[in-house]
Amino acid sequence: MPLILKGVMQSPVTPLKHDFSPDLETFEKLLDFHIRTGATAISWPHHKGESLNLTIAERKAFAEVAVKVVAKRVPVSIHVSALAVEDSMELARHAQRIGADAIIAITPYFWKPTSEGLYDYFVRLGTSIDLPLIAYNSPSYLSGLEFTGDLTRRLIERLPNFIAMKEASFNSEKYLEISRAALALRPTFAMISGVEFLAPAVPLGGAGSYSSAGAICPNLCKELYDTCVAGESKRARELQFKLARLWDLFRDQYPSSLKGGMVAMGRPVGPTRPPLPTASRERQAYIATQLEELGILDTEPHGW
Amino acid sequence: MIATSLSLPKKALKVANFIPGLVHTPVTPFTRDYRVDYDLYRKIVQFHLRNGAEALAVQMHAGESVSLSDLEQRQLIELAVTQVNGRVPVIAHVSDSGTAIAVARAHHAENVGAAAIVATTPYYWTPPPSMLIEHFAQIGSAVTVPFFVYYAPEELPGVKLGTDTVMTLIKQLPNFAGVVDASLDWQFMINILSNAWRVRPEFQLLSGTEYMVSAGAVGATSMFSSLAGVAPKLARRLYDICRKEKYFDARAPQEMLAELRQIIKRAGPAGLKGAMRAMGRDCGEPRPPLDPLPAAGAQKLTAALDALAPLRDEPRGW
Repeated sequence: MPLILKGVMQSPVTPLKHDFSPDLETFEKLLDFHIRTGATAISWPHHKGESLNLTIAERKAFAEVAVKVVAKRVPVSIHVSALAVEDSMELARHAQRIGADAIIAITPYFWKPTSEGLYDYFVRLGTSIDLPLIAYNSPSYLSGLEFTGDLTRRLIERLPNFIAMKEASFNSEKYLEISRAALALRPTFAMISGVEFLAPAVPLGGAGSYSSAGAICPNLCKELYDTCVAGESKRARELQFKLARLWDLFRDQYPSSLKGGMVAMGRPVGPTRPPLPTASRERQAYIATQLEELGILDTEPHGW
Repeated sequence: MIATSLSLPKKALKVANFIPGLVHTPVTPFTRDYRVDYDLYRKIVQFHLRNGAEALAVQMHAGESVSLSDLEQRQLIELAVTQVNGRVPVIAHVSDSGTAIAVARAHHAENVGAAAIVATTPYYWTPPPSMLIEHFAQIGSAVTVPFFVYYAPEELPGVKLGTDTVMTLIKQLPNFAGVVDASLDWQFMINILSNAWRVRPEFQLLSGTEYMVSAGAVGATSMFSSLAGVAPKLARRLYDICRKEKYFDARAPQEMLAELRQIIKRAGPAGLKGAMRAMGRDCGEPRPPLDPLPAAGAQKLTAALDALAPLRDEPRGW
């Protein structure tokens, strides 16, 4: 399974109609937009895609559209994490059936399994399909549940299809424990930064990012990646700082403000499902002024 | 934001031109009956100066500051300044629970020749942001030398240092020169620097540990190192490459130091002194309530260090 992930990868938001029902037509436009603006892979639905607010049936319907519309232009991975592990298993089988290129899964929600429990979960998931597996590490959102270097090493030894990690601890020590273990055993393993934390990650072997701001400013994200890979530290820092300001704008009730910002970019994708709020008109206007101040409106594509 | 009328700087401040660089953080040696071993301390200081330290930060947590009496801390800072004799700057760590105690210690440290002061969030208490600002503002304004805040949320989990707090302190304290980061948190580091540089371009981020590559990539200029007591050459190599901003080249020494740190961490709180002993530099055991390294743990640690190829080039003995 030679799937090598690198560069700025996009995890699209989930467009909804005003009554919160799925907007598959806009989803198609969004997928095309991401690919046209340089996405090296598509991965859906991350938390940014409101994964946990969609029914399993809805997730399958969107996943089918993603695979069909992307049509092998870039690899598509399907995020299969759900509250119930049995649902994750079903989503993984479905992803394989519809022709997705990989699956991605976070450590389980709510429960606090032991490290043996985590190992068993990923082995069960990874061996249930004949697709590459991407793991997702996000200790601060899951009460400290995380990938250690040891767990990473054991899973790589056990699973030939374990090829990448979405790393969202954003912590030097945690990152290095995983990257040291993974890259020594499997040099093609892709350490993929969550959000766009590329400047601190690329020198340690980071392969790219799952972009948070890619639907707003794909050019900026791409430039940051290119600058990091070229080792232009000073410029990379400037761009990373600029993206950090954007992240401050969007991280609140993520992805509510991000969807709000897409309105200003001429790419409206509708509301955010409760319990997340939908960005109010005032909030949208505020975000628009911030985007203007940061020069985003001048340098980034408007509309679809 | 708190609008405080600023008293004018007492002297021409040396904030802008003091970049500490590679800062070694020595351990504090104790005799078998737990007294401070001042003679051995001199030897430790000498060792660090001969092995690449561009500055010393004395009685950091690696130096068991919290287990030392106020008098001992004062004696050790005096001894360090005397022993260093102007060869490199000495940064004094003055943290305490009570603001006034830390203030008095900072004042003393400046009087005896410390080049800068560093302080953490207070021990035990979890003050609200306004009182955290007050705590740091009192310590910082007690001195004219540069003042650094040391942020170690894993060691002191009750208090978060927010960007707003840092920005307020910059406004209030002309000598607030930077944050020594032990959070290792990329979002924190990026947020602090991207905001601070807009109002104080010389504001510094200092890496509080040897995790320098990511810190440097987002703007850190200096590195505090306790592992320099074990592997000074490796610490120096990592730091020098990072200062040239050749971060891809720094990955190998970074991974080696990460491995060394994990080996020592697994041995527990006496691991650092255990590793120094394994390198032929016996500094005794930590003071209670920290446990000494048990014999089996020491053997395991020594075996792990022996297997670590990069340590073969490092100095043994004093």
